[in-house]
Amino acid sequence: MQLDKLLRVAKWEVTKNAGGVDKRTIVVMALSLVAMGAVAAIAVSGGTGAGMDDGIYRIGVDDDSPYYGVAADDSTFDIREPDPAAVERHQQELLYRGTQLQSVPRTAKERAALTELRDSTAQYNDRTLARDDNQTAAFPVSVTLVYEQQSGSSQLDPRSGDGSDGSGSSAGGSDASDGSGSSTGGSGDGSDTGGTGGSAASGGGDGGTAGGSGANLGAIGARLTGDVQGGTPSDISPPFPFESLVLAFLYIVPMNFVIQAYGSSMLSERLNRRGELLLVTPASRGDIIGGKTLPYLAGAVGVAALITAALRFGNIAPAGSYVAVLAVVPLVVLFLSATFCGAMFARSFKELTFVTVTITVTLTSYAFVPAIFTDVTPIALISPLTLVVLDLTGQSVGLSSFVFSTVPPLLTGLVLFGLGAGLYREEDMFTQRPIPLKVLDALAGGINSRRSALKMSIVLLPLVIVAELGAIAFLFVLDSVSLNVFGTNQSLGIVLVLGVIVVIEELAKSLHVYAGYEHARYERTLRSALGVGALSGLGFFIGEKGLLIARLSDLESLPIGEAALQGATLPAGLPLWVAGLLFLLPLALHTVTAAISSVGASRGRRAYVAALSAAIVIHFAYNFAVVSTLV
Amino acid sequence: MIDARDIRKEYGGFVAVQGSSFSVDRGEVFGIIGPNGAGKTTTLKMLAGLLEPTSGSAEIAGLDTETAEMRQQLGFLPEESPLYEEMTPISYLKFFADLYDVDPDVAEERMHDTLDELELEHRDRKLGDMSKGMKRKVAIARSLINDPDVLIYDEPASGLDPLTTNYVIEFTEQLAKEGKTIVFSAHNLFHVESICDRVVIMNEGEIVARGDLEELQAEYGHTRYHVYTTVDVPEAVQENGSYKRVVESMDAVEETRERAEANGGDVVDIRTEESSLEEVFLNVAEAGTRGTRYVEEDAE
Repeated sequence: MQLDKLLRVAKWEVTKNAGGVDKRTIVVMALSLVAMGAVAAIAVSGGTGAGMDDGIYRIGVDDDSPYYGVAADDSTFDIREPDPAAVERHQQELLYRGTQLQSVPRTAKERAALTELRDSTAQYNDRTLARDDNQTAAFPVSVTLVYEQQSGSSQLDPRSGDGSDGSGSSAGGSDASDGSGSSTGGSGDGSDTGGTGGSAASGGGDGGTAGGSGANLGAIGARLTGDVQGGTPSDISPPFPFESLVLAFLYIVPMNFVIQAYGSSMLSERLNRRGELLLVTPASRGDIIGGKTLPYLAGAVGVAALITAALRFGNIAPAGSYVAVLAVVPLVVLFLSATFCGAMFARSFKELTFVTVTITVTLTSYAFVPAIFTDVTPIALISPLTLVVLDLTGQSVGLSSFVFSTVPPLLTGLVLFGLGAGLYREEDMFTQRPIPLKVLDALAGGINSRRSALKMSIVLLPLVIVAELGAIAFLFVLDSVSLNVFGTNQSLGIVLVLGVIVVIEELAKSLHVYAGYEHARYERTLRSALGVGALSGLGFFIGEKGLLIARLSDLESLPIGEAALQGATLPAGLPLWVAGLLFLLPLALHTVTAAISSVGASRGRRAYVAALSAAIVIHFAYNFAVVSTLV
Repeated sequence: MIDARDIRKEYGGFVAVQGSSFSVDRGEVFGIIGPNGAGKTTTLKMLAGLLEPTSGSAEIAGLDTETAEMRQQLGFLPEESPLYEEMTPISYLKFFADLYDVDPDVAEERMHDTLDELELEHRDRKLGDMSKGMKRKVAIARSLINDPDVLIYDEPASGLDPLTTNYVIEFTEQLAKEGKTIVFSAHNLFHVESICDRVVIMNEGEIVARGDLEELQAEYGHTRYHVYTTVDVPEAVQENGSYKRVVESMDAVEETRERAEANGGDVVDIRTEESSLEEVFLNVAEAGTRGTRYVEEDAE
């Protein structure tokens, strides 16, 4: 790869596309961004800005009544002159004279209006007290709210029986940073999961430092919404990681725009053979792909840097540094690489749209869902966005956490770029084949000899790790549901994650072998099939040790994490011969199952599907037996 | 300058080119002709390094066709060369000059000289707004931006109107006179005949005939004799006050003379007419069904 040529292609990619964008398109894009910001702001403000329920309750109240101010502060009320006749005609839901309710709610709407007025009254009183000069008199009881990191799934698991109340008020956050801070005005009810952060940090306080990370998240949420009121027990609502969600949303949305432009640019090189002339220049494939990718990579990372700076210097986030930006880089690489592969596989813009939507949904879920659970469970660390949230909330990010979160998506991105690059040549770029066949073409591109089976199983491992981590992230919530399988009492989450992992691993071991047979890279003999399968299994066994990266996280503290990763690590305290056996058993398993699939693959598609299914069943039975014994 | 040794290309089970061998000398214009699907474009793309031969090898100036050094010396014009339509000819050519490491000043001068020679106007107009002929001229200018020693042109006049076609062919002829080595394919055999020093004829992925035009005519063509007499003879037609009989052998010429003398007349003129390349091609195609014949050297 030549850097000067790569940069020339990058410069050309920018100028070429800049020339293709007219002023009208720029205006439309700017308006879209403004609209997106507005939608985000409405989302952040909890939808109150939409005004859908403005004036739905008509209340007759004099201006000297104490309820006049309450109704005036709540946009759901439409204040009218008190008129009993209007109440009779159902043209007013409520009627107050002084502090006395003069009407009896009879209809559902009238009852709802009364409930709303009571809620509004409580909030009105809180706000009034918060403005009082004598805060001690206004709030005679002060509660220090400390957020505590959960140690694992036990607190989510109703079977464990420790979900008692009161834990929210226990002293000393276990989190590394500053969990012992206090907030003088904050209060909480000590509910089992800690109360909301949104109002605890700032309400009525005197500037005390935020407590734990949850408090920091709450502070960001409050600043984003402009809501700095509250701080009373009535404000505590069931915990929902709204602030994590907003932060993850801010970073993930721009990436989806970038990949649309990138995918279109890549596909347009393939349509009508436009890219053929670049291939005949002295620039290599790597120069061309790298050069065409660089502007989008730089753009996406630049946007992440701008968002971080805006949050930090706009005093929305208490912290935020280069760590947040660095953590985004692997995600950008993953998004771009998946899009690149999609653009190399798709036959038309219509097909590309389908591919990019799939990529968007899958990768956004991978990045977004775990990050929502920042400070709730170790699962969150699966997503690099969790590092972003941690950094923005002023918590330190350890090197091991950083490596665990970022290396798998980064390596997966590089593998995907490699697979796509294998198709970036004349005879593959411009052929119109269905996507599944293109996938096989990409896999076959890396196969030269029988030994390639070993190499391919190792090379594809980052994909396996990311897929497995994704499965853990999505299925851990089912950890609390029991399932009686073969007389065992395993959780549904564990059973499902074992199933998904087995399918992923068997596909990873055999799909490239099948591609090799389809492209006549291997001889279709039994001996060859067994040899190729054994090498593939050996390669996977070696590569599987890459799962040791999970040790950098607390993932194994969760039953589902332990079950999912049991192939990579051995339980401590086992006799040497047992440990040796457990070390070698996976080798035998992977070799046997890969050989079964390979024999099927050598005999055509139907035989491959049948053999793969058999391999999956054997693998699942093995894993389930091991997990039932050890976990 | 160009040396192709038994280059073969297979796509799955389909053989696009079956082990072709040929060489092209420096400064030579070498034509590849054949019907659609004969393997011409695949052969040219293997020479240009775009396609990797399934077996065999090709070299240009002693360099493997898949190396960047070789591509630095090559100008390739594919049959269809869609351009980046949002760019202008100047920005397009500058970009390719950059990729070929051409000095910016040299590139500037070269691109304007070439576009002048090609008589391309409206150089600030976007390529998407240009006619097909204008785009083809830009594509030709791109193939020359690195001042290559070797040009590989696949159907350079494909889809152009007759005027632009003649212009492109004449320009290619001029490049040949400047000493460029050119490998050229075309459907219009008249163009090949007019500028190519040597020709190979391909059919179904195989070279079925090769040689210069005279050799091909000798092997596959016919020499016709137009015999003009003062009196009528069998099979003659009257033309400009005399009688013309077209025959294909000297024996028939002699026979015509004897008949004219027998009728009291004489032969006043004999003119020869060689077969066109098109006729040669048709004959070769016909012969192709009877087996391959080689005029020049055997395949190496």
